[in-house]
Amino acid sequence: MTPAHGTTPPGSRRAHWLLRWYPRNWRARYGEEFTELLIAEFAEQPRSWRRAADVARGGLFARLTSAGLTSADLPSAGLPGDPHDPAAGQRASLATLACSVAVFLTAGATMWAQLAVGWEWAPPAAPGAAIAMAVMSAAMLLFTVLAVLAAAPAVAAAALASVRGQASMLRRPILLMAGGALVLILGGRHFGNAWPGTGARWWPHQGLVPGGVAAFSWACTLSVTSYWAHPAALASFPAAELAWMAVSPAAMLCLVTGAAQVVRRVRFSPRVLRHEAWVGSAALVGMAAFAGGALCWVIERGPEPRGPGPQGLFRAGHIDAAGLAVMVIALVIGWQARQRARRAGPPAAARPAARR
Amino acid sequence: MIRPTARDGDDAGALGRSAGPATLIMSSLADGAKHGYALTKDIEAFAGVRLAPGTLYEALSRLEARGLIEALDSEDRRRPYRLTAAGAEALRAQLQAQRSVAEVGLRRLAGHWGTA
Repeated sequence: MTPAHGTTPPGSRRAHWLLRWYPRNWRARYGEEFTELLIAEFAEQPRSWRRAADVARGGLFARLTSAGLTSADLPSAGLPGDPHDPAAGQRASLATLACSVAVFLTAGATMWAQLAVGWEWAPPAAPGAAIAMAVMSAAMLLFTVLAVLAAAPAVAAAALASVRGQASMLRRPILLMAGGALVLILGGRHFGNAWPGTGARWWPHQGLVPGGVAAFSWACTLSVTSYWAHPAALASFPAAELAWMAVSPAAMLCLVTGAAQVVRRVRFSPRVLRHEAWVGSAALVGMAAFAGGALCWVIERGPEPRGPGPQGLFRAGHIDAAGLAVMVIALVIGWQARQRARRAGPPAAARPAARR
Repeated sequence: MIRPTARDGDDAGALGRSAGPATLIMSSLADGAKHGYALTKDIEAFAGVRLAPGTLYEALSRLEARGLIEALDSEDRRRPYRLTAAGAEALRAQLQAQRSVAEVGLRRLAGHWGTA
């Protein structure tokens, strides 16, 4: 089985290709021996679609496990810290929950910013849109509070971990987070202020939400647009705006990836993990309320308000229906991750007694 | 649909949802350490079942994470595994449960259908 020096055993390349179905931490732990097994299998039976399908299924399952979306235990290697870390699965589930909230918010903020900007010009004529906007705005406020509640102990734990010598492990995700956040804040402010709809008018008191907030949200979600399907119209956009539409999703991705990596790598105390799980549950409630409000708006066919601003902002299009579908999928995945986090948590006997 | 009656974490359910491949793997390891390919061949010989690579390693990683088997150091790329004490205990409980089911089934078969 062991190849001679300078030669590659037959099937080695195919085995390495099949190995890509598995996540990096799994490959780090089992990659070599799994490749050897596959090469031996190829020698016995060169072609088998059943074997290829089995490897693909196993790889996808390992990826779901690595994301904390299955009840299976995580493979120990590749995860930082103690290889027998019992909270690794719970942290992976919480990281996936955070990612699903981020995806939900990206789709949701796109809708919400469009309605908020529309309301800057004139209130919606249809009552359904007004109710939907009120529900969605309340949910956005809840998300803001929850973001602070989730970030505060996580930042403190990350700082403590850095002091205790884990700084090198956290440097990359923290840089990713900080870089992504900085680009989004600077770019969002710049393009929000530059837009004639609501630009540079903080607290104008003519809409449901402050104009500056609406413009910032609009600018941060500018890339989520059906213009991508109309290249001719897109070509008429200013070059800086097009560049921002390409850069802002990358910045968002950096922010979310960095945050998820921090959650996975920092060894939170059981108390912080319980707190984060509670915040995750509250976020799921907010997501459900937001999705309900968005559904009201998407299915309503009310009249458009008559006003001086751009027309059609209160009319839901195909991209809004697609956004709603993305939100529902993110909600389901987030709920599943929350369930896994709860099951992966410490047993009830290990929890401190509730205060009376 | 058959549902396991033991919850995750219970001793009787230590092998969990992967009880089929896990029992085969642990039974194979009961007489000594083996690497992946040797496990496949041994299981095929004593059970007539060929575990596909993805299924085999899904069960191996789960058993290792639960501390029921452990990997041994190896000089080549094929890493052997052996049963741990906890694994031996879990395997014994699993096989005894299977034996009691088999005994009931055989007894009832004999009562209603006669002996073969």
